[in-house]
Amino acid sequence: MSPSKLGWLGAATGVAALVALWLAVGADRGLAFSLILGVAFGWVLQRSRFCFLCILRDAVRDGDPRGLLGLLTALAVGTVGYAVVFGAWLPVPMRPGLPPDAHIGPVSWVLVLAGIAFGIGMTLSGSCVSGHLYRLGEGSLRAPVALIGTGAGFLAGFASWPALYDATIRDAPVVWLPHHLGYAGSLLLSLGVLALLALPLLHRLPAGMTGQAAGLSVPDVLHRVFRQRWPAWLGGIAVGFIGTVAYLRTEPLGVTAALGGVARSAGASLGLLPDRLPGLDTFAGCGTAPDGVLGNAAFVGGMVSASLIAAGLAGQVSFQWPGWGRQMRTLAGGFLLGWGAMLALGCTIGVLLSGTMAAALSGWVFGLATMAAASVTLRLGWDG
Amino acid sequence: MTDHPVFTLPRRGLAAIALGGLALAAGARPSSAQTGASEALVSTEWLAANLRDPKVRVIEVSVNPGLFERGHIPGATNVSWHRDLVDTVRRDIASREQIQALLRRAGVAEDSTVVIYGDNNNWFAAWGAWVLDIYGVKDVRLLDGGRKKWEAEGRQVSTRPVAQAATTLELPAQPNLALRARLADVLPIAQSQAAEVKLLDIRSPDEYSGRIFAPQGFQELAIRAGHIPGAVNVPWGQAVRPDGTFKSVDELRALYAGVGIDGSKPVIVYCRIGERSSHTWFALKRLLGYQNVRQYDGSWTEYGNAVGVPISNPAGTIWGAT
Repeated sequence: MSPSKLGWLGAATGVAALVALWLAVGADRGLAFSLILGVAFGWVLQRSRFCFLCILRDAVRDGDPRGLLGLLTALAVGTVGYAVVFGAWLPVPMRPGLPPDAHIGPVSWVLVLAGIAFGIGMTLSGSCVSGHLYRLGEGSLRAPVALIGTGAGFLAGFASWPALYDATIRDAPVVWLPHHLGYAGSLLLSLGVLALLALPLLHRLPAGMTGQAAGLSVPDVLHRVFRQRWPAWLGGIAVGFIGTVAYLRTEPLGVTAALGGVARSAGASLGLLPDRLPGLDTFAGCGTAPDGVLGNAAFVGGMVSASLIAAGLAGQVSFQWPGWGRQMRTLAGGFLLGWGAMLALGCTIGVLLSGTMAAALSGWVFGLATMAAASVTLRLGWDG
Repeated sequence: MTDHPVFTLPRRGLAAIALGGLALAAGARPSSAQTGASEALVSTEWLAANLRDPKVRVIEVSVNPGLFERGHIPGATNVSWHRDLVDTVRRDIASREQIQALLRRAGVAEDSTVVIYGDNNNWFAAWGAWVLDIYGVKDVRLLDGGRKKWEAEGRQVSTRPVAQAATTLELPAQPNLALRARLADVLPIAQSQAAEVKLLDIRSPDEYSGRIFAPQGFQELAIRAGHIPGAVNVPWGQAVRPDGTFKSVDELRALYAGVGIDGSKPVIVYCRIGERSSHTWFALKRLLGYQNVRQYDGSWTEYGNAVGVPISNPAGTIWGAT
């Protein structure tokens, strides 16, 4: 089948899936809003190729820092957005108690280990969890294999949780920067660190990056919106904005809560997991509160549908069998993604983005561990 | 009659006129003294029309995190059941000083009308009303139907914090402990030594019969199943309509009369931790106006763990047995 025919088929499937989802959840205002946010998020990720591994590979392999700058843009926009929401909800941040639902997790060596596992999993499987989800819309045959591995990894994560909780997580500090620095101090520190990270990258921007001088015709604009990839900075601004809106209206951005919830209930009913996972539900994060599963399922459903439509319209749908050897690595990588995401209480979306935007130390620690592990393994060529 | 918002206080007159025909009719009608309904409940319509009244202070007690922050009734103060309405160290209700400081911060003065609402069918809001009644706050009412009804009607919500001007409210020195029962008060009933007191268990039939230890999804906090001997069972949900509002006074009277509770004898209500039974306590004490109604807030999680007390366990469920 030709790419354009496949594209139209993909887009039509996406529209049909979206209509079905809307019929299923449209009557519930909360779920409908989650679905809409998921559509926006999936659209933005696909259009701007907001995939953490691709971003890193561009920088590590090709010396192209634009994707990483897009990620830093997302964090900066979201950090400011979250601070605006926090200021309204908790006018005095120094008082005890954390802002509701914000992904502020315990910081310990388990979080570092989880970040490293997740980073290696990204390299081996070819993407992070959100990347695999939007790749489903591009016809990736690695994505479903990786996501099966992620489900199994979640089960293993739940199984190892009680021992790790007893050993270290129970006493691990839960650090929210505004508790110690106030909102202004926390904002200054976060934005300052983001600027410091961006500075060396800005020096390496490829040449010929000047703006379009001539005017754009309507077909040009449509082409740029629907066919060409969006620049990473634009994706970053959109991700930061969607992250803020998600926190304000529903719950912090995250893509693993539904997956983790399903794995948890399946594991419990198969007798693979203990009935109670000590301490887990006292934290806010992905996979901790079984009640939130439905909203996250609507969000992820919207995300995948939108990526089908976006990839379809752009003619970016294709099926390529990567070979059995590669698929085994994909499965193993997916497993590490799931194990890491469970123990970190979220993935690159739920912890790196939503945690860092929320001024949680856990977001920074997980993000640095993940990106470092993925960089090293990329250099070692484990993504081959 | 209680299907409609009922207005008794003279200062509500103007607001009632603003509400139009139905409310005006209700407002013009003197409330029936024996029900006391008007002093206990406000309707969503009434609250929407009186939100700007500086004498009205609204408090939300919701148990799910983030609900208040993502949209609450404009001007409401957020009160946490876990932090503000109970002692966070001992198992006890919050102290007089704690409640007084909280109400001062919420802008409650001696002549304020305090309207409380929340999620979960006002369970925790009703706990708040009970605690405020114990500490002698003069005019405490529930929003009939709670948060669910306000949302279902698509009424205005706000995410903007409002700092009320703090007051110097002074609560009475002595709390009204006649509204509260302790383990020592229920034990004589269980031992058939206090036939004059009626005991009302408002948990689900399966909890009452001992088939289960706790409702689905809740931790088993008591290591024995069943109920306090002598207690009758009327699940709390029978007191409300599908939209979460309380049934009419006549319906409520008939409901509890069916199990022999008619206000002629003292009543003690209990549940698992005291939140659902606050709701029934409110119906019996504040809506029906029965004189001697106490809530046993220790409830089953205290009684079912107490050593050596008599228990009725018709289902015979054995703790820990497989």
